[in-house]
Amino acid sequence: MKIKAKTTTPAPPGALKAVGSILLACALVICGQQAADATAINGNSETILRMREGVFGENLFPLYEYLDLAASDAAGPGAISLEIGGWGRVDLGDRGFEHRTDGDIQYGFLSYRANRGNFTANAGRQWVVEGVGTERIDGLYLRTDLLAGFTAAAYVGNPAVTQPDFNGGDLIYGGRLAHSMPKYYSIGVSALRTEVDGEGIREEEGVDLWLHPVAMVDITGRSTYNSLTRGWMEHAYTASFTPTDALRVSASLQNVHYEDYFYQVTTNTLSLTNGFIAPGEEMWNVGGSVGYSATKNIGLSAEYNHYEYDLAGGADYYGVTGNFGTSTGLAAGLSFHRMDGSTDRLRYNQYRAWATQKFGPADLTLDFFDVDFDGSISGRENTFSLAAAAGYDFSRNLRVAADVDYIRSADFDNELRGLIRLSYAFGVGKEGK
Amino acid sequence: MKKTAYLMVMGIMLSFLYACANTNSIARVHPEEVKGLPRCAECHTDQWTALSHQTQDFYLKHKIYAAQQRDACNTCHKESFCVRCHAHKEEIKPSDRYKDRPELSLPHRGDYLSRHRVEGRINPASCLKCHGRQNNERCKTCHK
Repeated sequence: MKIKAKTTTPAPPGALKAVGSILLACALVICGQQAADATAINGNSETILRMREGVFGENLFPLYEYLDLAASDAAGPGAISLEIGGWGRVDLGDRGFEHRTDGDIQYGFLSYRANRGNFTANAGRQWVVEGVGTERIDGLYLRTDLLAGFTAAAYVGNPAVTQPDFNGGDLIYGGRLAHSMPKYYSIGVSALRTEVDGEGIREEEGVDLWLHPVAMVDITGRSTYNSLTRGWMEHAYTASFTPTDALRVSASLQNVHYEDYFYQVTTNTLSLTNGFIAPGEEMWNVGGSVGYSATKNIGLSAEYNHYEYDLAGGADYYGVTGNFGTSTGLAAGLSFHRMDGSTDRLRYNQYRAWATQKFGPADLTLDFFDVDFDGSISGRENTFSLAAAAGYDFSRNLRVAADVDYIRSADFDNELRGLIRLSYAFGVGKEGK
Repeated sequence: MKKTAYLMVMGIMLSFLYACANTNSIARVHPEEVKGLPRCAECHTDQWTALSHQTQDFYLKHKIYAAQQRDACNTCHKESFCVRCHAHKEEIKPSDRYKDRPELSLPHRGDYLSRHRVEGRINPASCLKCHGRQNNERCKTCHK
């Protein structure tokens, strides 16, 4: 698949300067510290070369460098740390390609974490996960324990938006207030708002919970409300029952109102106006699974999901999975799943078999994935991929892995892809090791 | 003026509540090194038993655990771990990047390009977890 031209919403210059200044200041602070057990610097580099053919027959050899760096000092009443990571890419094959280079700062923030009260303050590009908010922002995040089992979190910044067809907003803020009894429950209420020029384009509120009244019961879930459309976006809950260490039974329920759920997106693909998403649709998904560990090395599970719609027909998805391992370094798995939609195009059988074997510092993996469609997808009723991967650990910190993937898909009769990955981890200080 | 006074009062109240909380922070680093997919119940007998990564529903439930107790995740995982899947701009899907880790529950294994035409119709809400407000590049290649 050829990589097309891309547009990225640039972060406001002020935000970039602020983030840069913070990161530089942090680096200087940490570099100025005496080397001690409390100071740690570590990082991870992954150099990846992919080899594949584009849709127009061109050979693509994109070379990636992923670099993650972290530095921390925990000598005081809390820990201060800097984490930054990103990637860059250059295509070694198609030199005529307009966008043969690209890259991204995935995260980069200064963090302070107190030894008391779980107080955390982060500044910079970061991924915030607080109740209804699951957002990557360039901004500030605060979290702390309060009196009597309460906790509070708040964040504000610019949303990190990539490749938008629609404006993703220039300001986002939100927060979460929760109450917990650690062994029994945690219940939170949260909200977020995204603005463009002071006008709200997202306003979401929600309730999230984690209940474990007794050790063998664990219930998680969240309900999210859209204040702009005045409707519930989603209810999603899962309950698990673990009567013995070997057996776990789960049941899940999900309800989605498309008009409220897809109200604000940044791509045409999932917008309410392009025809793929029916605005009046409501989806119910009721499912369950049973997992059984026959021994420590043998696991079996079965799952079933039923989908029901107001406008479209229903669908069922069910299957079984088995995994096993041996003390000789062999691990393997088998699975079968059936998607049973309302038309032939929405029905398929899915098979997977994989095995991996360790030979000292080396390992070899085979993975076969096959799908048989009841109807045809672009004229093809069967697609599959067969991947072979090998890796070698030169040391605890240095690993080389390579794989070859043969694919027969709806778009390619015979597609061969390759990937080589060199991983190197490094660090100094107690935590860095 | 009124807004500033309101913010100051809120700040003082929160500082007071924080000072009175006096709880111990969750450890920044897990005291024991953990390898592979952990069975938390092997050591823990409290609420952390729920975080056992090998259970068949952990993949489904981990978003709630992370949204409620991210500090617990951070004892073993740095931001660099989360971003391998939860990126806002990524060109290599996780299942392509880690073909030597077949035991992981990674989305889009195999020829997902064909399969997404079915799964995208069955439950498009599942796409919005990773696409729609981020990682739009691959969608836009075909869906203009």
